[in-house]
Amino acid sequence: MSVPDYMQCAEDHQTLLVVVQPVGIVPEESFFKIYKRISTVSQINVRDSQRVLYIRYRHHYPPENNEWGDFQTHRKVVGLITITDCSSAKDWPQTFEKFHIQKEIYGSTLYDSRLFVFGLQGDIAEQSRTDVAFYPSYDECENVEKRIEDFIESLFIVLESKRLDRATDKSGDKIPLLCVPFEKKDFVGLDTDSRHYKKRCQGRMRKHVGDLCLQAGMLQDSLVHYHMAVELLRSVNDFLWLGAALEGLCSASVIYHYPGGTGGKIGPRRAQGSSLPAEAGNRHRPGAQEVLIDPGALTSNGINADTSTEIGRAKNCLSPEDIIDKYKEAISYYSKYKNAGVIELEACVKAVRVLAIQKRSMEASEFLQNAVYINLRQLSEEEKIQRYSILSELYERIGFHRKSAFFKRVAAMQCVAPSITEPGWRACYKLLLETLPGYSLSLDPKDFSKGTHRGWAAVQMRLLHELVYASRRMGNPALSVRHLSFLLQTMLDFLSDQEKKDVTQSLENYTSKCPGTMEFITLPDGLKLPPVPFTKLPIVRSVKLLNLPVSLRPQKMKSLLGQNMSTKSPFIYSPIIAHNRGEERSKKIDFQWVQGDVCEVQLMVYNPMPFELRVENMGLLTTGVEFESLPAALSLPAESGLYPVTLVGVPQSAGQITINGYHTSVFGVYSDCLLDKLPGIKTSGCTVEVIPALPRLQISTSLPRSAHTLQPSSGDEITTNVSVQLYNGETQQLIIKLENIGTEPLEKLEVTSKMVNTKGKLFGDFLSWNLEDTLSQFPLKPGKIATFTVNIKVKLDFSCQENLLQDLSDDGISVTGLPLSSPFRQVIKPRVENKPINPPETTKVGDFGNLKTLDAILNFKYSGGPGHVDGYYRNLSLGLHVEVEPSVFFTRVNTLPATSTRQCHLLLDVFNATEHELTISAKNNEDLILHAAECQRMAIQVDKFSFESYPDSPGERAQFTNLKQLEEERQQAKGLEINSKLDILWKIPSLKREGEASVEGVLNQLVLEHLQLAPLQWDVSVEGKLCDCDIIADCKVGDPVQLEVKLTNLSKHNVGPFALTVIPYQDYQNGVHNYELDDAITFVGSNTFYIDTVKPTENSVCIGALLFLYTGDFYLNIKFHEDNSSRELPLSWFCLPSVHIRAVEPVTQTNL
Amino acid sequence: MAVCIAVIAKENYPLYIKSTPTENELKFHYTVHTSLDVVDEKISAMGKALVDQRELYLGLLYPTEDYKVYGYVTNSKVKFVMVVDSSNTALRDNEIRSMFRKLHNSYTDVICNPFYNPGDQIQSRAFDNMVTSMMVQVC
Repeated sequence: MSVPDYMQCAEDHQTLLVVVQPVGIVPEESFFKIYKRISTVSQINVRDSQRVLYIRYRHHYPPENNEWGDFQTHRKVVGLITITDCSSAKDWPQTFEKFHIQKEIYGSTLYDSRLFVFGLQGDIAEQSRTDVAFYPSYDECENVEKRIEDFIESLFIVLESKRLDRATDKSGDKIPLLCVPFEKKDFVGLDTDSRHYKKRCQGRMRKHVGDLCLQAGMLQDSLVHYHMAVELLRSVNDFLWLGAALEGLCSASVIYHYPGGTGGKIGPRRAQGSSLPAEAGNRHRPGAQEVLIDPGALTSNGINADTSTEIGRAKNCLSPEDIIDKYKEAISYYSKYKNAGVIELEACVKAVRVLAIQKRSMEASEFLQNAVYINLRQLSEEEKIQRYSILSELYERIGFHRKSAFFKRVAAMQCVAPSITEPGWRACYKLLLETLPGYSLSLDPKDFSKGTHRGWAAVQMRLLHELVYASRRMGNPALSVRHLSFLLQTMLDFLSDQEKKDVTQSLENYTSKCPGTMEFITLPDGLKLPPVPFTKLPIVRSVKLLNLPVSLRPQKMKSLLGQNMSTKSPFIYSPIIAHNRGEERSKKIDFQWVQGDVCEVQLMVYNPMPFELRVENMGLLTTGVEFESLPAALSLPAESGLYPVTLVGVPQSAGQITINGYHTSVFGVYSDCLLDKLPGIKTSGCTVEVIPALPRLQISTSLPRSAHTLQPSSGDEITTNVSVQLYNGETQQLIIKLENIGTEPLEKLEVTSKMVNTKGKLFGDFLSWNLEDTLSQFPLKPGKIATFTVNIKVKLDFSCQENLLQDLSDDGISVTGLPLSSPFRQVIKPRVENKPINPPETTKVGDFGNLKTLDAILNFKYSGGPGHVDGYYRNLSLGLHVEVEPSVFFTRVNTLPATSTRQCHLLLDVFNATEHELTISAKNNEDLILHAAECQRMAIQVDKFSFESYPDSPGERAQFTNLKQLEEERQQAKGLEINSKLDILWKIPSLKREGEASVEGVLNQLVLEHLQLAPLQWDVSVEGKLCDCDIIADCKVGDPVQLEVKLTNLSKHNVGPFALTVIPYQDYQNGVHNYELDDAITFVGSNTFYIDTVKPTENSVCIGALLFLYTGDFYLNIKFHEDNSSRELPLSWFCLPSVHIRAVEPVTQTNL
Repeated sequence: MAVCIAVIAKENYPLYIKSTPTENELKFHYTVHTSLDVVDEKISAMGKALVDQRELYLGLLYPTEDYKVYGYVTNSKVKFVMVVDSSNTALRDNEIRSMFRKLHNSYTDVICNPFYNPGDQIQSRAFDNMVTSMMVQVC
């Protein structure tokens, strides 16, 4: 006996072995179909008793094993079922002959046999024979099961008779010696009459009867017999059989203790049995009890004559612990015989199965360890594989997964051992796959993405390498690519640099034939290999969705309803909402993308490989909106640090878009890496809204672009910067070309401007434009150009005041940022610096040429297309940088009263700060030519201003806080008004440039007051003729001259009453005024005028008369009575023109 | 004299493994790996015993033809496995115990290093030297 049956288990001892074999040519498929049906009949309840017969079917059984049938009866083939295919009657005899030959093989042990003939019809098929059954075809054989049951019953009858026969034998005749094949020669010439020999015969026979009882379903009896056999055999030191008896005892006990079986669910036979384990268990126990209870059984078969009926089953049956001890003992006896190796091995296996059920893994492992060392003869490769596989399976059963995996792997390696001519790579691969759990390796990369790698990397890597190799040899490159990618992905940290190189090298070799995909690979046995995305090649550290460039950023038009707020919640603030919003924010991004525009996502990646990593076809994976990803290829240097990669794409429709991940192609393996499965990735939200398409505007200007970039204030970003150099006061046109470079029509355009540095004073509109002309060209079709003109007018301060110097010295100090620890120097420094600055400031031209810059931003808000419908617009900013060079300065300003009270002279000291000759002109004045750095005074006669719109109201002074501001505003407005009257223009003929000059900044309070027209307007008329400074009223001596004083109140308040006195005098033109004119002039009536209260905007007139007695030039000084004049009002309001009257002779016109 | 000494983390992956015949390192990997079955089994059996009375030394895990494998488990379930040449009969249980104790002390020193993260590969030179000395030293 040399072929071990590794599948054996303890309960096989109670089975009857039936061999089912095909004879002649039977299609394998058909044979197994019938075999399967036969196999279902594995348990038979024998007719009238509750005993159960168990049948073990085999389709292959080595006859030499059959020879051990006496030793353990379950090894004996007792039944033979032959299946044959016989299509014609003439083949029949031949077929039948074959059946007989087949019977011969197991002939010595067979109790009965059957022949199932398929396909034969006709006379022969009609005959009814017990040992032959005819079926027309493999499909029409309904009563096969019935036949088998009958057959088994016939087997039972033989078995029962044998059992009874053997059991009763011993009483009289000589008991034959049962022996195993290798013993036969040992007993030659032995004294058969010795007590020793007899005992041996008895013991062996007793054991044999025990086997038969067990097979016949009489468990209790068998236990008794085994006990007796053990005693008998122990006394004669018949160790082999003693072992067998002990094992029998163990088997019977196991059957009793574990009715569910120890074999587990392995093999088709077991699977059948286990389908009704509960039922089997129920049947079993009553069967065992019955033996004791049934008195008929006890008396009739005579067995119990020898066995003590008092021995309870509990006593006969071994306890679970004893079973193991007895197994150990039995195995130790077996091990004394080299030829019984198979028996020993099988006993070990059985014991392990029992221990597995008892969950005593440690002891089981000892048995297994022993089994490993049992040396059978030279095993064939196939047997080796089988042996390792079964060891693996047994280790698995006792929970030693690693050991199990180890043996399975050994088995796998055995499949492809070099000695095998046709290596079974498929089998090897299959076995290797089975070892995966033992090495705690799953082929799903997801299991590895969680945290750090856990597992025995060295052995796992080895296994993966073997899987790769096996799958390659199997001729499945897709599989090897998958395994290799898995190896690279999960074991990257454990691979040495050289290994990394080797693995990638081979991966590239494989993928050149079969690129790696993202599809599941389904193996023939149903195992699915999930795709392996290379999330570590390269490693992505952060993903950031980028906003569109500022010029393309969509902005929401502010709706009046503020719908965003109102729809969300009725509350302005609620902590709950705030919390939710925070959560939302983490997912959602507060900017939008625009349909049809290129949108960017920035990844920070790094290459963990020691060589350059080429990543091809890297693009974004998205859900939501249709997205056209524009893949990129990149090459990362070896062991690179964090490396920014920008992936781009174009959303094709509006809605929500979520960036789920990215796809790459590395070493020919395509991977889809999903972000939520990447560990340690930083992302600031991946969902962004895509709004409908908007037009795109490109602007180009007539001015050169400037390198000067504006300091972005309040997050503004400037798309284009242009710069221009202008003289102070100059005006320039800026022509802006607006081109729609998008795909949507441009429908709306709004232009706003903003000054960036408001430090310097600026007068007048810096930028002005007329949008109407441009808008008339709208809507602007894609590709069309519109023009837009902006006037740039620089009017900075023309004064040469301290603030200019201040600016300079300010800078000086800020540059000398000295440490505080040396206060002495800090004090000194400004003084030192001031010195050189101050003198040239006044003398040298260059320092007046202190350039001022003006920065402004022109904002173009535009919209159109579907985005406009949704209320979005875009903002394009044009940065304008103007360098202002000084043109002229008004170094001093003064006023001189003009002859008329309504007019005055403005004196301006004009300084030419340019390096060119400059002409300056003002209203009514002729051009003044100024050479470079020349200063000249110019006088401009101006009418006084009334400043009606900003009347000085004493009531408002109460608002002290606003006072200064108010004053400034007022002054500005006044300046503006004055300036508009002045019209000062300068011109540089050599450069052909011209501009205005403004006095706005120059004017101070004093000057303004002088220029202001009093709100009380006094008009003095002589003889109905309005008198003013230069006008000489003529009158005749002797005639009364009517003098009319008219007060027009232009202020907001009531004024008056006033008392006025007219004082005439004569001016001798030498500084002497003669007021003693009582004899020259008399008043007709009073020389005092009374004016009543005058309401605002009304006037009051009082009329008096004068009589000149002599000719001459007289002046009238109209004075207020001090007590009458209101103190509240400024003095300048009571400025009446002096009246010049020339009295002449009535007839002769001769001067005095 | 040990031929292979391994420190295995609680989660059953190697923190440290060193074997003398370096050319067949993988064999020892397999030996130690499979011995973990027995270690697990022994620990689970021990789990019933009171924690403070637990014996850290697990004894002989299993003998193979050429080697004997001994095990030791710390209270934090870090395992030490030592593979000893079977031919070396001079090595008694007590010596094995003392070797394990030494190993444990050295391991404790490694853990005490504030720059060592529990669960990382042991790269301590002191530990390495100690292991090497145990492998060379003939008891």
